[in-house]
Amino acid sequence: MINVPAIAVLGLHKSFGGNQAVQGVNFEVKQGEIFSLLGPNGAGKTTTISMLSCLLRPDEGDAHVMGHSIRSDPTGVKSVLGVVPQDLALYEDLTARENLSFWGKMYGLRGSKLKLRVDEVLEVIGLRDRANERVNKYSGGMKRRVNIGVALLHKPKVIYMDEPTVGIDPQSRRNILDSVVALKNEGMTVLYTTHYMEEAQELSDHVAIMDHGKLIACGTHEELVKLVGQQTRIDLTLNGDSENVMGAWKNIDGVSRVSSEDGLVSVLVKDSNQILPHLFEAAAQLSIRITSVDIREPNLEALFLHLTGRALRD
Amino acid sequence: MIRIFDIALKDLLQLSRDFKTFMFLLIMPILFTFLFGFAFGGFGGNDDSDSRLPVGYLSQDDHWITTELHDLLAESDVIRLEENPFLTSFDLEELVANGDLAAAIIVPEGYGRAVLKNKTVRLAVIADAGTQSWTTIEAEVLTAASRIDGAARTATIMEQMELEGVPFDYAFEQTLSAWDEPPISINETSSLAIKQTSDEGNALAHTSPGMMLQFAIAGLLTAAQVIVTERTSRTLQRLLTTATRRIHVLLGHFLAIFLLIFTQFTILIIFGQYVLKVDYLRLPGATMLVAFSAALCISALGLLIGILAKTEEQAITFSLIPMFVFAGLGGAWVPLEFTGKTFQAIGHLSPVAWGMDGFENICARGLGFESVLIPSAALAGYAVFFFLLATWRLSASEEK
Repeated sequence: MINVPAIAVLGLHKSFGGNQAVQGVNFEVKQGEIFSLLGPNGAGKTTTISMLSCLLRPDEGDAHVMGHSIRSDPTGVKSVLGVVPQDLALYEDLTARENLSFWGKMYGLRGSKLKLRVDEVLEVIGLRDRANERVNKYSGGMKRRVNIGVALLHKPKVIYMDEPTVGIDPQSRRNILDSVVALKNEGMTVLYTTHYMEEAQELSDHVAIMDHGKLIACGTHEELVKLVGQQTRIDLTLNGDSENVMGAWKNIDGVSRVSSEDGLVSVLVKDSNQILPHLFEAAAQLSIRITSVDIREPNLEALFLHLTGRALRD
Repeated sequence: MIRIFDIALKDLLQLSRDFKTFMFLLIMPILFTFLFGFAFGGFGGNDDSDSRLPVGYLSQDDHWITTELHDLLAESDVIRLEENPFLTSFDLEELVANGDLAAAIIVPEGYGRAVLKNKTVRLAVIADAGTQSWTTIEAEVLTAASRIDGAARTATIMEQMELEGVPFDYAFEQTLSAWDEPPISINETSSLAIKQTSDEGNALAHTSPGMMLQFAIAGLLTAAQVIVTERTSRTLQRLLTTATRRIHVLLGHFLAIFLLIFTQFTILIIFGQYVLKVDYLRLPGATMLVAFSAALCISALGLLIGILAKTEEQAITFSLIPMFVFAGLGGAWVPLEFTGKTFQAIGHLSPVAWGMDGFENICARGLGFESVLIPSAALAGYAVFFFLLATWRLSASEEK
């Protein structure tokens, strides 16, 4: 079992009416690693996770989780799986302890074993002292911790975490990211979806980038950054019409791509120190003022821009 | 399988923490039972809690056989003999026509002797043969008269056989001929007595089951909200990532609502019996059968509402609409007997009408166990229909 990939995704397809949500996705997750699915909203990440959780049946393709097929052995898949959904999938009018006890039963735990695991998980998520308070009295971060705790009750081999840091404060986000690393250290495999590039960059052993239902790149952080070359991204805000100046900037030697989204112009360059004065000069000639400049070293976001022509934003 | 009970217990825990549950299921029906009962004159001073149908009795014969017949009828659980030696057959006919009596029995002169001589002198019964009460009265009088007639003829034949050595074939033919003609005849008239017993004698016997059924449906709004929240928070999807199957979830919710509604019915039936003096427990098995099937039906409706509603606000709306429509149409407010036949037929599209029929047949009309079988079957049919609809709807929505 040790050589079996934790997750092997083989040509998954899923459509809803005319909308092709997932189109032929393939990837493999090794046991004990953190694997991030990175992409903007609507990229197909949650649909992929839903198929891997046996909630949706794929139109084509298959996937194996710890050797169990999602098509032919969903019960086997569910037995090795813990899922942390994006939403707070809890009963807020029950206490944390009541929630964990209920979910433990749903995972097949009973009696003293259940009680023991509930206590252990409360310890792990740091809520033992407030275990008997109703969840609707908790802060957003505490709720998120209970949400994660539920998935740990039956000690799963694989955990899916679907955008677990959406809409929470920086401190709670930090706690969650630390807990993801802790899970890896305990030997669990984590499939983590996010549209925050920094999270994928920080946590992941491997990253797969999805867009419009397709996997457009997959590899380690270093491998992916190499795809974009050692290019730097310069984000600029202008106070005038960007169309003319973008045309001028495209003609500057050393500029490989210029794109615009939501009033922000992004320029991919080989050497920002050399190119930046030329950008200012061209803008000045067209009487356009540059009001802000942000220089970004090569990263996954730059890769996404490079591959899709769009920025990876919320 | 055990997950069904886990889900049901979890639901009951959630529901027990919502004050609205108790308000709609217990407090409101008791308040409205008193309110409607007062409106229909349930506290108007008629202390007669005898729910048997009032039947006038006039005997023009003083034979001992006639006395036997009288005693049999007087012991009935279904009819109550109203005797007044000063009334004539014309007076009785008028009382039935006015609705003061459900029917009247007249025993003609010579009835006793005729029975002993194997002659056909039939009892006269004045009644409206089109009413529900008539079926009950007819069965009761026929049974009593047949028992007297059959016993007398058999005794006579046996006596002859013993004295004269009559052949068995002849004796058998003679015995059989005793059943050729029913020993009663009907003089049809218009009767309002069954309505009178409802609106004057025991108004609470109508309003108590009416409000019980109405607020059982209203109480679904809290149960439906639990299901809606589970879906909108995607907790249902999370449940389905465990070994829990969709049918476990549905049955778990259904069981929770059923236990809640059935407990509500049980409490209100006991309250009705001992506080309101509504005779629910005259036939406890029949009453509980109606309560059981009504709870099944309303629970399945609650499940369907929980699955159809997309928001908690919709769950409230979807609970209150059937409450008003089903309760109003089904006679929970105004007895269907007060309405025309067309409205009564339309009213029976509402499961509440069947529930009312079942409860009222026991506690207002004084009918037997068999009278609740059709209403209970109809309620069970609605339960199956609502449950299948909920199952189909959930599967369809989850695929989207």
